[in-house]
Amino acid sequence: MNRAVRVLVLLGAGGLVAAGIALTNSDSRGPGLVLLGTAIAIGELVELRPPMRAALPLSFAYTVVLARRTSAAQAILVVVTAMAAAAIVRSQPSDVGGRVVLFGQRLVAGVACILAHQVVSDAVGDAPSRAGVLLTLVVAAIVPVLVADLLDMAWSRRLSLVPHGRSADVALAASAVLMAIADQGIGRAGQGSGGMGLWGPAVFTIPLLAAWYAYERLAEIRRTYDQTIRALGAAPELGGIVRAGHAERVASLSVAVGRELGLSRSEMEHLEAAALLHHLGQVCLDEPEDGRPPEAGAVAEAGAAILRSTPLLAPAGDVVAAETMPSLGSRAVDEHVVLAGQILKVASAFDELAEGDGTRAASALETLYSGPAYLYDSKVLGALEIVLDRRELLDRAD
Amino acid sequence: MIVIASIVVFRHYHDPIGPMLVGTFILGFWPLLRERAWLKLAFNAATSVLGTGAAAVALWAVPGGDEAPIHLLVIGTAAAAWAYLVVNAVLVSVPVSISCGEPYRKVLRELAHFFGPGSYAFALVGLGLGWVYLEFGAFVVPLLVVPILIARGTFKGYLELQAAQDQTIETLIHALEAKDRYTAGHAQRVATFAGYVGQELNFGPKRLERLRYAALMHDIGKLVVPNQLLNKPGRLTEAEFARVRRHEEVSVALLGRIDFLAPVAPNTTSEAATRSVEEEAGPVEPGIIMVADAFDAMTSTRSYRKALTQEIAFEELRKNAGRQFRADCVEALIAGIERRGERYGDGFEVSDEEWEVAPPVAGVGSAGLGDLLPEEQATR
Repeated sequence: MNRAVRVLVLLGAGGLVAAGIALTNSDSRGPGLVLLGTAIAIGELVELRPPMRAALPLSFAYTVVLARRTSAAQAILVVVTAMAAAAIVRSQPSDVGGRVVLFGQRLVAGVACILAHQVVSDAVGDAPSRAGVLLTLVVAAIVPVLVADLLDMAWSRRLSLVPHGRSADVALAASAVLMAIADQGIGRAGQGSGGMGLWGPAVFTIPLLAAWYAYERLAEIRRTYDQTIRALGAAPELGGIVRAGHAERVASLSVAVGRELGLSRSEMEHLEAAALLHHLGQVCLDEPEDGRPPEAGAVAEAGAAILRSTPLLAPAGDVVAAETMPSLGSRAVDEHVVLAGQILKVASAFDELAEGDGTRAASALETLYSGPAYLYDSKVLGALEIVLDRRELLDRAD
Repeated sequence: MIVIASIVVFRHYHDPIGPMLVGTFILGFWPLLRERAWLKLAFNAATSVLGTGAAAVALWAVPGGDEAPIHLLVIGTAAAAWAYLVVNAVLVSVPVSISCGEPYRKVLRELAHFFGPGSYAFALVGLGLGWVYLEFGAFVVPLLVVPILIARGTFKGYLELQAAQDQTIETLIHALEAKDRYTAGHAQRVATFAGYVGQELNFGPKRLERLRYAALMHDIGKLVVPNQLLNKPGRLTEAEFARVRRHEEVSVALLGRIDFLAPVAPNTTSEAATRSVEEEAGPVEPGIIMVADAFDAMTSTRSYRKALTQEIAFEELRKNAGRQFRADCVEALIAGIERRGERYGDGFEVSDEEWEVAPPVAGVGSAGLGDLLPEEQATR
């Protein structure tokens, strides 16, 4: 069952219930609430996913509309029902525990939105001015996004106040306010004049859908590119040049050491690409007649030359070239590139010494430390030791 | 969107000139302004004004004045968007058809692509914008413009990233091809031929993109073949041939690691491959790439033989259609090349390098592979 079918199932169920209420009950508010609930359930499945950031469901916007339409108690009832329906129908996360956690997070955010709306609209009084209504709606639109962010941070126990992808929050909040105004007008809540009813939320969903589509394509192309680099990185091991999994292990270790030494996000991305592709040069050189592996400097130079010919990977090419430089860079290059090159050199040498086996980590590190001082950067070795210790690969019995 | 919004707003003031003035907004179209293409600008503005007029007529036909029920306005908006697009397409097709020398109907059909659901969706946003502006004033406009700008910015970022990554992967593959100077440009040509077949088989844009990408990557396993073997002049021994052949396995293994390409990675077991040729089962993409690969291999000079002519290559493909190659792919490739009137093969090669050792003129070999040298002869 793909997403389109899931959405149609929710839409069909919600539409039937709304039609049923409209036919049997004279209360004209029922069908509207059911349709909004349906929109919230579907909005749970349609999420804006900016890179490196928690997903933002469109349901938050419809919750603002709902909060403005009805009493807090009724709104919470609708949100609980809608989000539970979405939690049952959704495909991700695939495990029940993950779904329950996500349902809980989204529910808390939705309820917080309704309560925030209630509190602010009480505060601005019974006959609010235009600014008062606007203030209420803006607060109600921002609260669920903030709450969802805080919950996500608390759950993953990581403080991440990244400025990345905040434009998605702005788009969602602005659309939510606009939908609520278009639905009920800007007069007093519940008895507004001049609203266009549910056509408002429906019409102003379109820009959000456009944004959703753009974010989906962006995520897809990033994933494909990432996997292409990884596949290219795996080529030397399939050719039997290096041990299986070498590129992935060196990449993971390099990034961990880089984080320890305070490299920036983009520097770590370049380091990771360089680590994945650092044996690429070898497959481009002629195989020596005597069967010995080619010289490390030549491999790095050949690999760096290929990477430097491409715009996105040129920085990774610099890192690969820096791998074979002595630790005190003799050439005038960016010191961070030199550092990244040293990290790559240490991580690669470590993986070869440990033969990809965690139990040999301590002796491999020992060998690296005992090498000539000019061979490996002591700062990098220190960071490597910290990382290995954190991974519990070093025996700390002594 | 802007047009519809303006019609809704001016409908309120009973002013038919207003929207048509707004129709001239296209005068601000920056690429044409930068090129100082005044004539094109004037023409575009004129068609836009006429289209706006047509759309206004459609929307104003909705009864009820200011009190018109919203669902009638939604229907009217669809009609108005359609009227705007039709008037524009009909008028724009005239100069395009004259300047490109294409038949009028064909141009019109191509412009009809703009009639997709996206145009109607944004016409509806225009209706909403006009409505909320009339009801609540100008302060609501930024609430709509901001999400649209963000969506547009994200999409632009996506297109830029896609272009950059495309270029990166092409350059990378090109650099790796430098291993084998006989196959320079091979991946690029296979991607082109595969694209021809895909178009003949009416693939959608996403499927074409996937096919192009898979075709570019189809020989990626050659990374593991030592250079000496790839560039060995003359024939290979059985053992060397087996080593060269291993690259196909590696290619498939690598393609399988990329989610986007995994559905079109060829099936490696030989029975499955034979079955998919005979029964035309499974995804068609591996079959397309196989045919495109074989055609390019036959029509370019390799270390083991000179290029064949296009006629021989076609004949060879047809002879093996239904056995080694999928018949539908073979015919689609031939149709695609003949439709474009292009010529490949002996006498039409793009690069005519001086070979250190002149490639031998060898047997046809079904996939362009030369005849094998018997092992004992090689060791002697």
